[in-house]
Amino acid sequence: MTSYARPSSEPVQDAAFHHPAFFYTTEEDYLGGVGDFVRAHADRGHPVLVAVPEERLSLLQGVFGAACEGVTWVDMRQAGRNPGRILSMLQEFADRHADRRPAIVGEPIWPDRTPAEACEATRHEALINLAFAGRHATILCPYDTALPERIRAQAHRTHPVLGGPGEERPSEHYADPLAVCRDCDEPLPEPAEPLVLHFGEEDLGGVRDAATDWAVAAGLSPRRRTDWLLAVSEATCNSVRHGGGSGTLRLWPAAGALVAETRDRGRPADPLVGRRRPDPLSAAGGRGVWMMHQLCDLVELRVLPSGLVVRLHMTLDPPPHDGAG
Amino acid sequence: MHGTSAIASGESAVDRHAAVVFSSDAEWADHLVAFVRAGIDRDEQVRYFADSTDPGRVTRTLDERGVDAASAVRRGQLLVITAGQTYLSGARFDPDTMIGLWHEAVEAATARGHRGLRAIGEMSWGARDIAGADRLLEYELRIHHEVFARLPLCAWCFYDRRLVPRTDLEVLAAAHLARTGIADCHDRADGPALSVAPLAGRPGFRLSGSAGYENRHVTASALAALTASPAQDVTLDLSALDHLDVAALAGIARAAHRRSAVAPVRLLGAPPALRRMLELFPELGGVMEVAGR
Repeated sequence: MTSYARPSSEPVQDAAFHHPAFFYTTEEDYLGGVGDFVRAHADRGHPVLVAVPEERLSLLQGVFGAACEGVTWVDMRQAGRNPGRILSMLQEFADRHADRRPAIVGEPIWPDRTPAEACEATRHEALINLAFAGRHATILCPYDTALPERIRAQAHRTHPVLGGPGEERPSEHYADPLAVCRDCDEPLPEPAEPLVLHFGEEDLGGVRDAATDWAVAAGLSPRRRTDWLLAVSEATCNSVRHGGGSGTLRLWPAAGALVAETRDRGRPADPLVGRRRPDPLSAAGGRGVWMMHQLCDLVELRVLPSGLVVRLHMTLDPPPHDGAG
Repeated sequence: MHGTSAIASGESAVDRHAAVVFSSDAEWADHLVAFVRAGIDRDEQVRYFADSTDPGRVTRTLDERGVDAASAVRRGQLLVITAGQTYLSGARFDPDTMIGLWHEAVEAATARGHRGLRAIGEMSWGARDIAGADRLLEYELRIHHEVFARLPLCAWCFYDRRLVPRTDLEVLAAAHLARTGIADCHDRADGPALSVAPLAGRPGFRLSGSAGYENRHVTASALAALTASPAQDVTLDLSALDHLDVAALAGIARAAHRRSAVAPVRLLGAPPALRRMLELFPELGGVMEVAGR
């Protein structure tokens, strides 16, 4: 593993914010580490948010009961399907309970996450350190040891502390969150035959229409068309407003999903843009990026020397005969 | 589309504020003569607010076409003046000031014993770099309810295609419920991407097209008109809107907040995107009442 040691990447021992990664192998490990964490904080009257994959949620609820006082349960497979929207959820919970030392269990990566999702989840883990710096809060992040070595190594870089309750140690490989984000900006696979649309401000309406027509022809359900239209609209608008006045939209089908990509000359000044629920009345609060994260199943970001690349993924609903009905 | 004679004889507010679009001096003269002659016959006071045309040419043209302009001017029934001497004489064009001036002008005309006031305004100044010209669309939208629905006034807004860029002209003409010399832009594929018109039956406005970033200035004008509306209940008809972005929705909420009336703004026929955004930002829904599409 590369060494990232340089002055700015020294672990910051933040007395207020605590962000350990906890590695587990068995259900007993999980109940011991995560269960003890939940119990300890609930007993002390701290508000607890448990956002973990559904099967882990059931395991914990089997012990605590679903209606455990002071504990909020969230299925991370749903709420955190797009890793880019998790941080907003965590900050919203922490904001709501800011004066009561909120405790959070956040498990953003599970074994069937795709590499693209895991990359954005790693970016999310790094950004937690920036978003929560100086705040009185604890976020415990469980990692399954069945995850690939590459992902586990990244957890060492994104968490200042490793280990479960009672056995924590500083992470030797903890890295500057911005350095981790830069490393996440790895090259994206090229699509085979995308539809390519160049646009400036005067083309925004035509590009929206073309993207909608294309998605309908590609089989996007009526239910998701509005989400698609809104997300593409905000992405292309951002290229015009913040990406040098113009951009390129590419559209292509992926496995069970549609992808819309914008490329422009933008250089986002704030790595946390769109990671906190904005005031909708303020145009300066990353409203568009936050919406993209809420509307899409995955948002991939790349800050490249040429500018910003945003890939919006929207899953096609399964055909009716595959569904429950 | 309304023909010239329909506008001249119409009595409802819908017919008394018209966009008259032309592209030649001959068309200009035809509209001028018909309008002034009808006003003199009906014992109304007639005012012509010139911008690009020399006032002397207005009276000459009337005389040449058999309208005794000189006598009408002497009697005080016809006034040919310039926009620059009157409503553009201040630091900037201001819709609120203009609306006040219309009320004063109609009062002055009726005080002189006329049955009402009719006016022609040359709108070519709107295409020039005049302070406040960016509020022209807001003004055109507001006066249907704030002026024409209340006063015995008939006005033709003269839009010369040779002086006003096509896109601006089409959006401005669409803000009039009566139009001549221009096809209904909603029926054409090459019409403006977003247009706004006052509602005929009740206070409010109808947006047609797409309220995206590229059309934000048109949206802003519509919302400025909405904010200013003194009506207690006001409706935004969105049933002809294909799309609106979050900035437009936030603009509607902001306008609704700023209104002096306490009643929520009624949104008619909202597109699915609006409902989806209200799910993401439910706090914006408090000042609007969303009716079905």
